[in-house]
Amino acid sequence: MSVPLMTIPDEAPPPARATAVSARGLRKTYGTGDTAVHALDGVDVAVDRGAFTAIMGPSGSGKSTLMHCLAGLDTPSAGQVWLGDTELTRLGDDQLTRLRRQRIGFVFQAFNLLPALDARANITLPMQLAGTRPDRVWLDDVLARLGLSDRLRHRPHELSGGQQQRVAIARALLPRPDVVFADEPTGNLDSRAGAEVLGLLRSTVREMGQTVVMVTHDPAAAAYADRVVLLADGRPAGEIQAPTAASVIDALHQLGD
Amino acid sequence: MRTVLLANLRVHAARLVATVLAVVLAVGFVVATLVLNETSRATALASAGAPYLPAAAVVTSLDGAPVGVGALLADIPSVGAVAPSWQTVLPIEVPERAGVRTLLVGSVAEAPELRWEQLAAGSLPDEPGEIAVDRRSGAALGDVLTVLVPAPVDRTGGGSGEPTESSATVTGIVEFAGSPYAGLFGQAVVTPAQAQAWGAQEPSELRVAARPGVSPDTVLADVSAALSDRPVSVLSGAQQARSAADDLTRGHLQLTAVLLVFATVAVLVAGLVIANTFAVLLAQRTRELALLRALGATGAQVRRSVLGEALLTGLVASALGTGAGIGLAAAVAALSGGAEATIPLVGLSVPPWAVGAGLLVGTLVTLLAAAVPARVATRTSPLAAARPMDAAPLRSRPGAARVVLGLTLLLPGLGLLWIGADRAQVLVAVGGGVLAFLGVVLLAQLVIPVLVAGAGRLASRIGGIPAQLAAGNASRAPRRTAATALALLVGVTLTAAMVVGAATTRESSTAAIAAAYPIDVVVTQGSDPLPRSLAGELDAVTGVGASAPVSVAELVGPDGQPVQVFGIEPGAGGRAVRSEASFRLPEPGRAVLPPWLATAYGVASGDAVSFTTGGRALDAVVTIGDDDQSEVLVTADQLTATAPDAAPAAVWLRVADDADASATVERITQASGTAAPGSAVTGMLAQRAQLDGLLNGLLLVVTGLLAIAVLIALIGVGNTLALSVVERRQENGLLRALGLTRGQLRLVLAWEAALISGVAGVLGVAMGIGYGLTGVNSVLGGVGDVVPVIPWLQLVAIVVVATGAGLLASVLPARRAARTSPVAAIAG
Ligand SMILES: Nc1ncnc2c1ncn2[C@@H]1O[C@H](COP(=O)(O)OP(=O)(O)OP(=O)(O)O)[C@@H](O)[C@H]1O
Ligand SMILES: [Mg+2]
Repeated sequence: MSVPLMTIPDEAPPPARATAVSARGLRKTYGTGDTAVHALDGVDVAVDRGAFTAIMGPSGSGKSTLMHCLAGLDTPSAGQVWLGDTELTRLGDDQLTRLRRQRIGFVFQAFNLLPALDARANITLPMQLAGTRPDRVWLDDVLARLGLSDRLRHRPHELSGGQQQRVAIARALLPRPDVVFADEPTGNLDSRAGAEVLGLLRSTVREMGQTVVMVTHDPAAAAYADRVVLLADGRPAGEIQAPTAASVIDALHQLGD
Repeated sequence: MRTVLLANLRVHAARLVATVLAVVLAVGFVVATLVLNETSRATALASAGAPYLPAAAVVTSLDGAPVGVGALLADIPSVGAVAPSWQTVLPIEVPERAGVRTLLVGSVAEAPELRWEQLAAGSLPDEPGEIAVDRRSGAALGDVLTVLVPAPVDRTGGGSGEPTESSATVTGIVEFAGSPYAGLFGQAVVTPAQAQAWGAQEPSELRVAARPGVSPDTVLADVSAALSDRPVSVLSGAQQARSAADDLTRGHLQLTAVLLVFATVAVLVAGLVIANTFAVLLAQRTRELALLRALGATGAQVRRSVLGEALLTGLVASALGTGAGIGLAAAVAALSGGAEATIPLVGLSVPPWAVGAGLLVGTLVTLLAAAVPARVATRTSPLAAARPMDAAPLRSRPGAARVVLGLTLLLPGLGLLWIGADRAQVLVAVGGGVLAFLGVVLLAQLVIPVLVAGAGRLASRIGGIPAQLAAGNASRAPRRTAATALALLVGVTLTAAMVVGAATTRESSTAAIAAAYPIDVVVTQGSDPLPRSLAGELDAVTGVGASAPVSVAELVGPDGQPVQVFGIEPGAGGRAVRSEASFRLPEPGRAVLPPWLATAYGVASGDAVSFTTGGRALDAVVTIGDDDQSEVLVTADQLTATAPDAAPAAVWLRVADDADASATVERITQASGTAAPGSAVTGMLAQRAQLDGLLNGLLLVVTGLLAIAVLIALIGVGNTLALSVVERRQENGLLRALGLTRGQLRLVLAWEAALISGVAGVLGVAMGIGYGLTGVNSVLGGVGDVVPVIPWLQLVAIVVVATGAGLLASVLPARRAARTSPVAAIAG
């Protein structure tokens, strides 16, 4: 699946094999002059393959911007981003689009699904866009794991918020992407539905070896991850291995000071 | 709320462009029609009414008999002068121009105050022997014309004798442009005495002038009183002028009525587009309006704000449209100034009421069209402000009531259409057509999304995922899709109906006109026999398509009386005659007899008849000719076999369809005048050409103007797409994030446009064929045979153009959609 699309970059050595996504010297500036906002101000980060990584930080610290740049949704003002061996920052819009189809999965906080399509059509949409057919066995496996087998004909407004997020996860997993990115996937859910979604994300990492990167506000959610990357004012602000809710709250507290 | 209203207008000005354009086009159409109508009316009054405007009173015979009361009127004290109008038609020879031409000769008033003729050069005739002619006559100032005055015909019909030659000197050139009699033949005026000497008919019309200082009303009253017991009508000069102008413009009034029907349609389509625009505009602003409500604005305030926006937009657009309409009318008037026009338009009359009507119609339509969406917007609950943007889309299905009502309109409508077409009842057909169309409009919400979805399934075979997404988009908002398609549907239906109707009318009336005027031009002998070579020489004249010589011999009929028998070669005759539907040509061994002669001989069709001369007999089987045929016709071979001395009597000519009628007649006159001096050129070409031209012009104008309705509809398509891009920003962004390329996103929009306009195009053409055929049947069915013609090529072109234009309409919205960044979309 992960065929190198580009030659080895010359500015910097390619990232190590065990890294799924990495960024070096990432900057993103909105506006110019006095009103310029440095959403990202020199971020180096590496996400391990087969791990569940959470990105945390105060509101406005650049979490979403970082995720968008890592996922090829947005282009940074400076710096480099690799997905495996592929340097995203060198790709054109159409190449990025095709790469997103095949190698990246997304779960957003809201508006994840096309209202016109039923659950099944939403799940297979990226594959359809790529002109490929889903692997039936894999599809059934994913649907069974997410408990969606009897909901396939329903359209988004006929599903609960938790069910909608599960559909979005199924869609993200189906093409067996290199990385699944999730931006506050539980932000709109109550704690029970949220816990269910987070459990599912963790089990895809544990059982399928999927790489997942999740942006969140919630220390309890971050506790599901293997590692937490902290961000403050667009800069890396440390990380926590094997986080618990308590250690995350503690770290965030220190950032606030 | 005014601040909100103005801020909205500023921010959303770009989105109102579609509304403004639709109103401008529709209002422009209405105003141009009204202004052109008024202008042609004014022009007609100035030309056809010109003779009557100087008169205080006009006396017209009610039964066509002469009004011999000139002397009586002259004795009335208030009357200043009386001008009888003498008229006759005379063959005239112009020096240095071969051939005899026919001139319509009238009399000029003796009293200067009753003269109205406009001189281009020279002066009006003052005494016998003088004549003023128009340019068409071909004569120049100072020419001496030879006039062939026919011998007087007495009432018993037995008149005979050679025509006498008279002459007249051209003293003036007159302008008769716009005269109802301006046709292929020239016109001239002479003094009343000269007109009488040339055998003009007793006048059936007198123009009366007031004595100086006397009011025209007094004269009118005096003349009316003096003539109260006679079979005449007495009108004031102004009244008579108006009635003459009305006679002239009657055809144009029908055209105006037709144009106004289409103008109504244009307004209707504009209304649909406007309602659509406002509905989507307000749907987008649901949250904004809800916020206003939550902050304390009343429903009425919100409604007033929306309607105020519509009112301002409508007013501005109507003013623009009125200006555009006047400009359009001026352009048409300038273009139609050619001398060949029946009514060359002079100047431009812009009646204030036309301007008022334009402003009113445009503003009202905009207001009415915006009223429904405004009412819906008022119902916005303040809660909507708090609802997330991706609220479940309403998949509103048309209610059962709508379907039932639609069917109750459609089915009887179709029945009435059928009856109207079958019995040639225009009003029944129109009523049925309106009912059926209303039915279609109601059912459109049900039918069109289904059709679009079906077309989308077909399209996704070729177009893949973009086509599939497009079909989904189109059928997801059935109401909006239907409204968009409906506007286009109306335009395409009418255009297709017009194209089918025009082709059918053209085919049917060409046949009817050909039957009514079978022979274009007939060259007949004068005092000398025609040379045998004449037919060949005329055949070589540019513009002549076919010729057939006719020979004649005097034989003795079965009743013992001499009778002229004409011979024609059937092959040549068949080529020269346009239609044999009401003109029988003889087959070998047959004799075509005029019906009255067959009665006189006591023979019927299929009987034997025999004509004799010098001991030889011409035996033939009777064919009864048409009522209009007045001669015995046999084949040329049979005639010469019996009467070897049969002489050329006439040549029938058929003018090529693409030839200029009047130039060809001129050339024929020249050629026959040179080859056979004294021969006369007559025929029905002028009438045929005039009818043909009228029909062509009418069809061209109506079809061209219909394009405006389609144009408005296409603006609607572009508008819908543009708004759907804004509306689906998030959705498009999600698709981009999930892997839809920019090109594919553009394709989605293109497919959406193609699907909607293609379905509207096909459906419209299908309905148009039905409407066109039933329409023509209901109008012409009573007059003659209708030959249905379906011009497939043009109809396919309509679908292609509609779809292509729809695609074009998608270009700008698609570019905008492609610029959507996936991030911006997710951010909401
Ligand atoms: N399109 C934009 N234009 C200008 N500034 C922007 C834009 N997007 C983000 N920013 C700014 O960049 C900074 C980082 O934004 P970002 O959305 O990444 O923060 P975040 O950490 O995701 O915050 P939150 O937790 O509230 O979602 C903020 O200061 C924000 O105002
Ligand atoms: Mg964020």
